[in-house]
Amino acid sequence: MSLPIATPSSKRPAATNSCRVCAPLGSVLAFRGLRGCMPLIHGSQGCATYIRRYLISHFREPMDVASTSFDESATIFGGQSNLAAAIKNLVTQYRPEVIGVCTTCLAETIGEDTEGILREITTEDPSLPPIIHVATPSFKGCQYRGFHETVAAVLNTVAKGGKPMSHVNLLPGPVSPADLRHLREIVEAFNLPLLMLPDYSETLDGPSLATYAPIPEGGVSLAEVADAGRATATLQLGATLEPGPGAGLQRDFGVPLVKAGLPIGVRATDAVLDSLAALARGSASRSSDLDSVVPSWLSAERGRLVDAYVDGHKYVSGKRVAVVGDPDLAVAVAGFCAEIGLIPVLVASGALTHRMASSLEALGLAPGAFEVMEDADYDSIQRRVVELKPDLVLGPSKAYPMTRALGIPLVRIGFPVHDRIGAGRILHLGYRGTQRLFDEVANALLTHQQDSSEMGYAYQ
Amino acid sequence: MRKIAIYGKGGIGKSTTTQNTVAGLAEWGKKVMVVGCDPKADSTRLLLGGLAQKTVLDTLRDEGEDVELDEILKPGYAKTACVESGGPEPGVGCAGRGIITSINMLEQLGAYTPDLDYTFYDVLGDVVCGGFAMPIRDGKAEEIYIVVSGEMMAMYAANNICKGIVKFAQSGKVRLGGLICNSRKCDNEKELIEALAEKLGTQMIHFVPRDNVVQHAELNRKTVIEYAPTAPQADEYRTLARKIDANKMFVIPKPLTMEELEQLLVKYGLAA
Repeated sequence: MSLPIATPSSKRPAATNSCRVCAPLGSVLAFRGLRGCMPLIHGSQGCATYIRRYLISHFREPMDVASTSFDESATIFGGQSNLAAAIKNLVTQYRPEVIGVCTTCLAETIGEDTEGILREITTEDPSLPPIIHVATPSFKGCQYRGFHETVAAVLNTVAKGGKPMSHVNLLPGPVSPADLRHLREIVEAFNLPLLMLPDYSETLDGPSLATYAPIPEGGVSLAEVADAGRATATLQLGATLEPGPGAGLQRDFGVPLVKAGLPIGVRATDAVLDSLAALARGSASRSSDLDSVVPSWLSAERGRLVDAYVDGHKYVSGKRVAVVGDPDLAVAVAGFCAEIGLIPVLVASGALTHRMASSLEALGLAPGAFEVMEDADYDSIQRRVVELKPDLVLGPSKAYPMTRALGIPLVRIGFPVHDRIGAGRILHLGYRGTQRLFDEVANALLTHQQDSSEMGYAYQ
Repeated sequence: MRKIAIYGKGGIGKSTTTQNTVAGLAEWGKKVMVVGCDPKADSTRLLLGGLAQKTVLDTLRDEGEDVELDEILKPGYAKTACVESGGPEPGVGCAGRGIITSINMLEQLGAYTPDLDYTFYDVLGDVVCGGFAMPIRDGKAEEIYIVVSGEMMAMYAANNICKGIVKFAQSGKVRLGGLICNSRKCDNEKELIEALAEKLGTQMIHFVPRDNVVQHAELNRKTVIEYAPTAPQADEYRTLARKIDANKMFVIPKPLTMEELEQLLVKYGLAA
């Protein structure tokens, strides 16, 4: 591949304004999509505090996360007694249906045998709720990896085989609660029974309650996840996932794995609906004749979106954009940008997949026409943005200091969005999410043009 | 105060050599503290007449942070002060972090009193990680002696330890004081270790011959100096103690490549 890929921050001695967040944060997010699940972070207490604070600022929802609270002696002697005590306390205070244990760098660095300790603890007390363990050292990956490893661990631990059932497994990736709700709406419109893992659409975007619920309502139950091995197929969203958490179900139970990019843009959404239509017809064959099975409201939304593309094309065409985000979101948004005539000049992520460039090319972006940065920090992203001079940046709120300094508009997408409310309600997916995104992109460019014009603006 | 750390391959006789040398210095009237930096906690057994010591880390584990100095520092042979850092159970936790914690705790508790002439750190095997390098970081130990024999792996370990010293010598005061040859009766052993020392830019400070009395003394939980003060082996340790006391040769070693090391062995080991 001859693409210019900037130096990953791992080759530099330090990251400045990190673009990545810790792996256990992704793990906690995924565990929040399991019904009655209490996440427990094995390691130092600050890790849990940071993750709670970070998630609360984004979702603006209560976020109880437990910690085994290593002190110096636990670091030296190992955290076995801490883990046992933590589980005991959790069970007494929270009565969880399931406990999700992920690890910090500290526990991983001292070589803690978390799996072995948990085996001992559960053997000793069979009355404990199920415990799911996932190793999440952040020196091996960021929240993106932690999220998917957790989904894989949940499936590995819980899914069972058996008589085939009619439902579809959907692995949506780390998208917003609004996205999850919309995905459910879409899949169910095809009359397909749905098992979505994780599903934090309610747990992280719930109603205001008179009494505080330490473990919020909602999420997919372990009993439901157990059926994952009996599904018709697994639909796994995320262009860079290779093979991704759905591969285990295919390997262990022969559940066919259907992969697709995140449905952002007309083409990408068509592709996902195409897969769903094929599943709905009980056939693996693809058909371009979507009309027969696609619900009419989706066709209507598609029609309005294409109309909006036509109306807004003159405002967006030829403008240069930089996209920052989780690999799959950044790739899908860049694909959407190319679809509407924007020119993606830089696609960057804090994660490292080695697959962003090839995924973008698979979406039809011309090799060499864009730069990809993986394992990037905002310091290195900013250096490229200064050079590449995009007219607009799409990315998390952490990109704001950069766009403010450079006087470029920012359309907030993905995670984290700490400086606006409603981050959990940002809809990115489907025709409807694309519509919202398109309007916002066009309006951000118009706003910038108006604000920076000496002439002002009037419409009589 | 002279701050000395003894390194060397596991099983080479570090603890035996250290304690006998310390006994030699103490018998001579020097005030010495020994800090065992091995999770096995057997670095002060001969001075204390048995594994009589509760380790710093066991004390920390059982009693929390409120540790008193006299709980972890025991008087041994000829008024030596004996400390064992200890460590986690085998296969658990982080022993390196344990060493760091122990040494910090000794400093906080004021174990390093001005009347001390010597502090000896007896460190497990090799500089395997940052924790086991602790005694040579931050000037905690300034002189390193490496116990070695004419066996290939002992020399390999010695060379590796020298790499660790080089790393910290550039930013601190730590220097190599010499190699102590603890004889395994290999062919041409004395010449071999003298040649190794020369290549490293240091000296073989003493050649300790092999003598079964060491074994007898160990079984009686004593140093040779205490168990058999008139034995020739006791004088060997006294000589080593005097040589260390008089030593003025402190260098930043020049570690060998693996190839150089093997050439050295072939030259001396096969020449017999």
